[in-house]
Amino acid sequence: MTYSIEVNQLKKSFGTLDVLKQVSFDVAPGEVIAVIGPSGSGKSTMLRSLIHLEDITGGTIRVQNQMLVDDGRYAGATEIRKITDRMGMVFQHFNLFPHLTVQANLELAPKTLKKESTKAIRSRSTELLAKVGLSDKADAYPANLSGGQKQRVAIARALMMQPDILLFDEPTSALDPELTGEVLRVIKQLAQENITMMIVTHEMSFARDVADRVFFMDNGEIAEQGPPEQIFGAPKLARTQTFLKRVDMKE
Amino acid sequence: MSWDYILTILKPMLEGAQTTIIMFLVAIILSVPLGFVITLAMKSRFKPLAWIAHTYVYVMRGTPLLLQILFFCFGLPLLPVIGEYLVFERIVAAGIAFVLNYAAYFAEIFRGGLLSIDKGQHEAAKVLGLTKWQAMTKVIIPQMVRVVLPATANEAITLIKDTALLYAVAVPELLYFAQAAVNRDLQLVPFFVAAIMYLLMTLVLTLLFKALEKRFSYE
Repeated sequence: MTYSIEVNQLKKSFGTLDVLKQVSFDVAPGEVIAVIGPSGSGKSTMLRSLIHLEDITGGTIRVQNQMLVDDGRYAGATEIRKITDRMGMVFQHFNLFPHLTVQANLELAPKTLKKESTKAIRSRSTELLAKVGLSDKADAYPANLSGGQKQRVAIARALMMQPDILLFDEPTSALDPELTGEVLRVIKQLAQENITMMIVTHEMSFARDVADRVFFMDNGEIAEQGPPEQIFGAPKLARTQTFLKRVDMKE
Repeated sequence: MSWDYILTILKPMLEGAQTTIIMFLVAIILSVPLGFVITLAMKSRFKPLAWIAHTYVYVMRGTPLLLQILFFCFGLPLLPVIGEYLVFERIVAAGIAFVLNYAAYFAEIFRGGLLSIDKGQHEAAKVLGLTKWQAMTKVIIPQMVRVVLPATANEAITLIKDTALLYAVAVPELLYFAQAAVNRDLQLVPFFVAAIMYLLMTLVLTLLFKALEKRFSYE
């Protein structure tokens, strides 16, 4: 079987600090993975490594059978680009382009890369804005949107590139609690569309609801993983139980 | 004070103002792009280049503009061996000094502008598949322009007034003709006329940059 993502012995250090110690996992095509764990456990760094926003210190990353990093050695620049082009990413702080309207945010990359006609780009951006429920905001600037609207634009922008794999780095952590619902609904809808997703999140009920598998990360490694019923219902490790108890109290 | 008198001094002063404006335009048109090149050099990963750019900015900002103008007009030709090839008309030599000096200030303004752009903008451009160059031209620079506009307006207005330093190397510009008329006629009026002309020029710049800021505000 061809995996979407295969990670083996991934290591990442910042100076003397080992952020990721030994991370190994596989993700099947269309699978939805929720990554949970305390802050500082390496969740975001792991996600960012997959799309080459971080240079890893050692280990192997294969994406759709193509080698991004082979035992610490990166592929060539063209090869890396080809691999990461199949992936999209949604950031905690949206990172919309503030100088462009919503629709222009969606269209900037496809128009710049010139792989398809302006007409095709326009029809897809219109369609995606409808999908995230923001057709009426096409001409608005990001500054005039709420946090939830911004994140939905960011999701639509990522989808413009038609990625096979979509990475979410705490997509609702910067939102007011009453705005998380609209974003989570959009992500949930995508989860049913056979797109491979990895979602770093602090929303436990969402993770339980949407994920096929849950990774619990702690101290730079995936301490425990399994289907949501197992991780949330009957966690094996004491540290998983402690973590879940702590977030439970906060919720 | 008579209108006839103002009319007689107006013609040479307008000629002087023309020199002022030309010097301003040449200096701004050349120093802005040069400044941006220096910004990129300062940020270069090739350390010697970054070091040279930083040193350049330090020297140009750390010494008087008047000294630089005098140096380019009268100092360069005194250099051994190459000096004889470096004899320019004074207005050209002074122009070089303006461009090199203002480029250093613009370089610092642009560097600050780039620093103000959130790292997330680079990352968003990267994960969407843009190259570094595409990210720079489509995402970073358009945002930087807005950030640097007020400081750039400030520099432009200073530059208009700094052209009066041409007086020191006897290039006849606005202030030169005003001073000549004051000396010749023992009248204060030419100073006021000159002041009004400078004010008009800075007014145009102020309005222009206000319009630009509006054009580049995105909300």
